[in-house]
Amino acid sequence: MKFDPKKLRKTVLDMAYVGSTAHIGCAFSIIEILSVLYKNHLRYPENDPLSKNRDYFLLSKGHGVMAQYACMHELGWLDDNAISNYFSDGSDLKGLSDSRIPGIEVTSGSLGHGFSVGVGLAMGAKLNKTDQDTYVLVGDGEINEGPIWEGAMFAAHHNLDNFMVIVDENGFQAMGKTQDIIGLGSIQSKFESFGFDSITVDGHDEIAINKAIEKLRNSDTKKPKALIAKTVKGKGVDFMEDDNSWHYTRLDKESYRDAIASINEGDV
Amino acid sequence: MRQTLSDVLVELGKKDPKILLLTGDHGYALFDDFRRECPNQYINVGIAEQNMVGVAAGLARTGFRPIVYGLSAFVPIRVLEQIKLDVAHDHLPIIFIGDGAGFVYSHLGTSHQSTEDIACSRVIPNLSVYSPADRFELTQCLMAAYQEKSPVYLRIGKADRGDVHQLPIDTKPGKLIKVRETRKSKYSFIATGSMVVTAIDVADKLNIDIDVWSAPFIKPIERLTVEEICHNSEAIVVFEEHSKYGGLGSLISEISSSSYPIKILQIAVNDCFSQKCGTYEYLLKEHGLDFEVVYKKVHNFLPSV
Repeated sequence: MKFDPKKLRKTVLDMAYVGSTAHIGCAFSIIEILSVLYKNHLRYPENDPLSKNRDYFLLSKGHGVMAQYACMHELGWLDDNAISNYFSDGSDLKGLSDSRIPGIEVTSGSLGHGFSVGVGLAMGAKLNKTDQDTYVLVGDGEINEGPIWEGAMFAAHHNLDNFMVIVDENGFQAMGKTQDIIGLGSIQSKFESFGFDSITVDGHDEIAINKAIEKLRNSDTKKPKALIAKTVKGKGVDFMEDDNSWHYTRLDKESYRDAIASINEGDV
Repeated sequence: MRQTLSDVLVELGKKDPKILLLTGDHGYALFDDFRRECPNQYINVGIAEQNMVGVAAGLARTGFRPIVYGLSAFVPIRVLEQIKLDVAHDHLPIIFIGDGAGFVYSHLGTSHQSTEDIACSRVIPNLSVYSPADRFELTQCLMAAYQEKSPVYLRIGKADRGDVHQLPIDTKPGKLIKVRETRKSKYSFIATGSMVVTAIDVADKLNIDIDVWSAPFIKPIERLTVEEICHNSEAIVVFEEHSKYGGLGSLISEISSSSYPIKILQIAVNDCFSQKCGTYEYLLKEHGLDFEVVYKKVHNFLPSV
């Protein structure tokens, strides 16, 4: 099965181990969201990541990019070498998303950029009278950034109902829990007050995610959409779940083996 | 110059329906004609410059030609990272107009004064930097920016210092334009934007053979021409209403030092903010850029004057 979450997580682990990279927990929290999007919603005519009529998916939390690479590998946009040589000298795939890779729409890592670019894409699609949809995935810590809210006001004012933000609400940011750093309160309420249709969902329940996206898409309002996905940082590997050290920690041979074993034995 | 800006924007907008003019709630009456002639191509993004640049990047990716307008203190300074990552990184053909550069907003203080914008923008790969001196150069710069396949920062400073050229000119990115030609010039002046007028006035008062060049294009700039100027001159004076760090003076020094090293005097803003409030002329005096002070500096610098 394509986009099997277990397989995607193993691909992330393979990359993280061979490249000795951080941000594993940040990638694991968005696996099911990406799986559902790529499987059921994102339209790429002829499987071309640069198709003129494609939907737009922007990973604004660029530090989760290994999850996207895993999906692009499933699509055949990245070959096995790209995965097995991750971070090798002269390789293309970086630790943060880079728009020069076909399939990646925006250069991120500095947070708060993808939202506004996505709003512009959605407006462009409206002006061009195409039926392209734009999805932007942001982290919950990322919404500390001011431009997110500038873009939210703009999207609502211009009735960009072809725009959907998905918030990966894993409750952590780089240095700790979001509630201890900049309390976010109800993210759904915030986006609703900014003029969005909004649903909160279990971000690891693929069926629920799919239903929520469909429901938002089928809404008869002209409002932009916000899907708040309650997730677990490090989801899928028992010793990484809700342990924020896996924002930075790198795998060694033993932890890599244990992580693979945890995925094999786990429910997700 | 501002009427010319309006006229050229209208001309471009009517010619190309993909032109979209974005403003961060700035411009006041400047856009009256554009709004009337191209109402569906005007977007006031609100007081949200960072979002404005991101939105422009998205629009450019869908085939539009955004022209992003702001005061130069905000565009490009406030949104430098958006220009770098969202736009320049991907060669998106967006024109950024930074108005009121230098000390135009002399009464408003540091927030609206902009003397670091050239330095900040010229170090961003793929981003061109234009700095016209009068309405004729502005027209050429805007038209050239429209033809570009990568982003351009167009710096507009004090706009009412009069024409430098007598007639419309024909030039292209990189070219320096000789605006005062003498028979046997030992010294050369190179100036940009509002200071071209000052450079000509100083040369006239010195009453010796001095060629004066206007540099409407900071990046790209024809290196060969600058090298020739250095080669043929005993000394050069560079004039700009910008910090002495990172602007045109720095650029000329960089080229000179690696080709024909000669003495260069920078007439530019020292590394300090404005202390007081007053007219534009008052602010120039505070920063040592008024005619009398500039004349003295240049007179003392040139060895045989």
